[in-house]
Amino acid sequence: MKKKKLINGINVFLFLLPGLALFIGILIAPIVLSGYYSFFDMNAYGAKEYIGLANYKELFSSTAIGFFKALKNSLLLAALSVFVQLPVSLGIALLLGKGIKGERAFLSIYFMPVLISTVVIGQLWLKIYNPSYGILNVCLRGLGLDNLAKIWLGTKETALGAVFAPTLWQYVGYHMLLLYAGVKSVPLELREAAMLDGATDGQINRYIVIPYIKGILKVSVIFAVTGSLKSFDLIYVLTNGGPLHATEVPSTLMINMLFLRNRYGMGSTIAVMLILLCFAFALVISAIFKQED
Amino acid sequence: MKKKILATLLAGAMVLSLAACGSTPAASTETPAASTEAPAASTETSVEAPAADAGEKVDLEMWCIATESDSNRHSYEAAIADVTAAHPEVNFTWEAIENQAYKTKIKAAVAADEMPDIFFTWSCAFLGDFVDAGRVYCLDDAYETWKSELPESMMGNSTYGGKHYGVPLTMNIVGLFANMEILKSIGYDAVPGTYEEFIACCDALKAAGIIPFGCAGKETWCVTEYLESVIEKSCGADTLNDIFLGKATWNNDDVASAVDTFQGLVNNGYFDPEGIALSNDEVKANFMAGKYAFYMNGTWNCADFAGNAEFGPKVQVAEFPVINADKATLGQLIGGPSDTLAVAASSKNAELAATFTFELGREICHYGYLDGCGLPAWTPYYEAAGINPLTQAVAEICANAKAYVLFGDTAMNADSANTYLSYVDQVYGCAIDGAGFVAGLTNDIG
Amino acid sequence: MAKTRELKPEDFSTYTVKKTNPALRVLAYIGLVFWALVNLFPIYWMFTFSLKNNEEIFGANVAGLPQHWLWSNYTSAMKTGHMATYFINSIIIAVATILITLLVSMMATYAMTRLVWKGRKTMNKFFMLGLTIPIHASIVPIYIQLSKMHMLNTYQALIVPYSAFSLAMAILICTGFMDEIPKDIDESAYIDGCGVWRTFFTMIVPLMKPAVATIGIYTFLQCWNELMFANIFNTNLKTLPVGIQALSGQYTTDWGPIGAALVVATFPTLLVYIFLSKRIQDSFIAGAVKG
Repeated sequence: MKKKKLINGINVFLFLLPGLALFIGILIAPIVLSGYYSFFDMNAYGAKEYIGLANYKELFSSTAIGFFKALKNSLLLAALSVFVQLPVSLGIALLLGKGIKGERAFLSIYFMPVLISTVVIGQLWLKIYNPSYGILNVCLRGLGLDNLAKIWLGTKETALGAVFAPTLWQYVGYHMLLLYAGVKSVPLELREAAMLDGATDGQINRYIVIPYIKGILKVSVIFAVTGSLKSFDLIYVLTNGGPLHATEVPSTLMINMLFLRNRYGMGSTIAVMLILLCFAFALVISAIFKQED
Repeated sequence: MKKKILATLLAGAMVLSLAACGSTPAASTETPAASTEAPAASTETSVEAPAADAGEKVDLEMWCIATESDSNRHSYEAAIADVTAAHPEVNFTWEAIENQAYKTKIKAAVAADEMPDIFFTWSCAFLGDFVDAGRVYCLDDAYETWKSELPESMMGNSTYGGKHYGVPLTMNIVGLFANMEILKSIGYDAVPGTYEEFIACCDALKAAGIIPFGCAGKETWCVTEYLESVIEKSCGADTLNDIFLGKATWNNDDVASAVDTFQGLVNNGYFDPEGIALSNDEVKANFMAGKYAFYMNGTWNCADFAGNAEFGPKVQVAEFPVINADKATLGQLIGGPSDTLAVAASSKNAELAATFTFELGREICHYGYLDGCGLPAWTPYYEAAGINPLTQAVAEICANAKAYVLFGDTAMNADSANTYLSYVDQVYGCAIDGAGFVAGLTNDIG
Repeated sequence: MAKTRELKPEDFSTYTVKKTNPALRVLAYIGLVFWALVNLFPIYWMFTFSLKNNEEIFGANVAGLPQHWLWSNYTSAMKTGHMATYFINSIIIAVATILITLLVSMMATYAMTRLVWKGRKTMNKFFMLGLTIPIHASIVPIYIQLSKMHMLNTYQALIVPYSAFSLAMAILICTGFMDEIPKDIDESAYIDGCGVWRTFFTMIVPLMKPAVATIGIYTFLQCWNELMFANIFNTNLKTLPVGIQALSGQYTTDWGPIGAALVVATFPTLLVYIFLSKRIQDSFIAGAVKG
């Protein structure tokens, strides 16, 4: 009996070993190390000096780094994501989930942008926004709206919006598909019963479908918020934080610190802040959904 | 402390370099048309002979940024062909990496102590970090052989603590390129020589519906090409040099008002408003397409401009006019030798690599000059008559040079340089004025 | 696998037809079609400008089909742009990552769902932490470690981190599927004298086929598109996203070859998607429902 337990224990260990090794080695240990590095003034070539909380102090106080502005931008993206992108996705999911002609075709088309590399999307939108030859300005001029044609990515006022638009657009399909799956899993009897009671489509959605898919909604909201906090690729391709830091987010700041300024300690500090924020938001969102129940 | 010493040394070298560069074109006429083909073969083989044991090949590897689209590509290829032919004992391999990616790659390689034997680097602070980390081979011994052809003044930007660590290739300055066809259309036969005339010319251009300047706002270094020239011609080369090298603080009223002058140019609508969203390649293409009258950028562009059959005849290069004659004079230029080759301390054949690097540097400089990619840091040993007229004009400007101030983002270390660039960005975007610029930099850098 | 019901309009048409206002219905269709165009147009535009010269792209023919189909743009993207090399790099990295993720996640899930031991629930929660950890957070330590181990610019430099970051999602999906395999299967296998390992490889793994598709697609998308790690860890073995970035630096003013490169990077995925769209969507849905 004891021997069997031992064998079981060894097996459990062996089955878990590769997963744990990867997980701890690549995710957990580096995070602990990032935390450790954040207390040092260090560069790429090994110079390293303990400076306590000085990196955090500088991060929070320096206007040159502008961490709070970057954070504000990514929180704005998160808010847009939750209050614009998700409602659009939900609306489409509800429409399609109800059963409509061409349901599959629409579903397939809406999901396409998710499959395209963010870099490709970025390059494509770079061309769309090009002030002289981009299709956006060309169309506006063609419609006689010359004064609306702008240097979209080069003007402080429009750059943030111009960067966010493709970011939000690309993932509508992703959230739509998640929510669509939820809508489809609503038992037919529930719908039928409501219809027999004379409920309208709107009422069915409001009182039956949405409460039913709360679990998936929660997942969507968490993905939307944490995804916004760590957004990088599209911004890097489109503006890399410019013009005048108008589109800076924490990830672009971090890459800047690391690979332009050789400041590994400060880069690690930003990384630590990012993890803390992601965890904090995930917990808060879970708590909000729990309270609703 | 270390920084201070370094700064002093660099400053010294800079002062020297004015004399050296001034003599460059003269030297080229002195030297009779030497055998341009494989010029140094005889001397080098004798230096090298002991290192090569019969039949045994020594591996040397080099990384650089002369990719196929780089204007220096040809000079590297030609130089490598020459030098490898003179060194049959060396098994030479090289790799070219795109500029931006190369910066990351070489830093990573230095961090891991995995550099190739020979590597391309920018002088001053960029190489300085590597030297501080103890990863670069000191070239003092090898330099003895080349002293007569490579003036000490040209070594200044890669000299740290009195020791030489880099072989300079070509040097470049900021030039004011002008599309003469456009200028003629509004009645100018030459680039105006004084600042007042220059501004009048810009106004005339504006009135004629032509944008005076093209400048890529997406790449801040392009903005510094304008801004640094304006500051230098307002405050004088010494002031700017002292600030860049950390000998003086940014807290300087003259700099503040010079920045305001620059911003005045922006606010007057002399710059292409679309430029802020464009990359340098796009702006350069616009300039060549006749969209702008002026384009201020490095003289490495000479080859591309002169080589373009349609555009070449239209373009001229000039020096930016003096703004405040009390403090600045003509002949104070922005630029200097920055492109450099260095040898890794970890190289197994560092001694051979050092000799090889000097020969290579000399040849790259030679071909680069002939191609119009820049001015030679090495004293030319050949007739340079066939060089394109733009590069010749630059050589003439350099012949009258009184002082050079190296590009700010090369002179400062990576952290300060990026802080500086971020403030330059804000000036160009009119988010801060001269006072704000000076106050911010004083606070963040000193 | 929670089967998604195939609802057809006629299923409850008796109710919906009289409830839905026809005007609203038309409006909804207009909205859906409009959104479909918004999603399709960039892809169409990308394809057409990849075949045009600058003259057409910049004014003569902005949105129409190319007048002269310039396939040479593709030749220059492939030759000067080395897109073929980047494509192969991306494939090698994606395939290796998917294989590792599959094996490792199935093993871990097996240990946590079918072997009996204390703490397996906690262990599962521990792995789920990975869902919220941003990939950037570990970039500095991994970078330093890789450079110390002289592993920068190797395929492993990306394969290992990608596998690690795909793990949490893969385990999540795996758990859902594995829970549905009846426990009797293991028990009868034990009775027949099969060890744990043989049971796992000969009985469980073959039953996990639907999970393989789902995990494969999730993992593929993650590593096929990733830019930050690829950009910094692998400057030699460029993947497609990094390659496209580099290429667009080379051809800032010549859009045709860039368009061609974008198409090369995109259309294989899209073609596979068009043929397998139902399968891929179901995989996503299954993955989401399990979560």
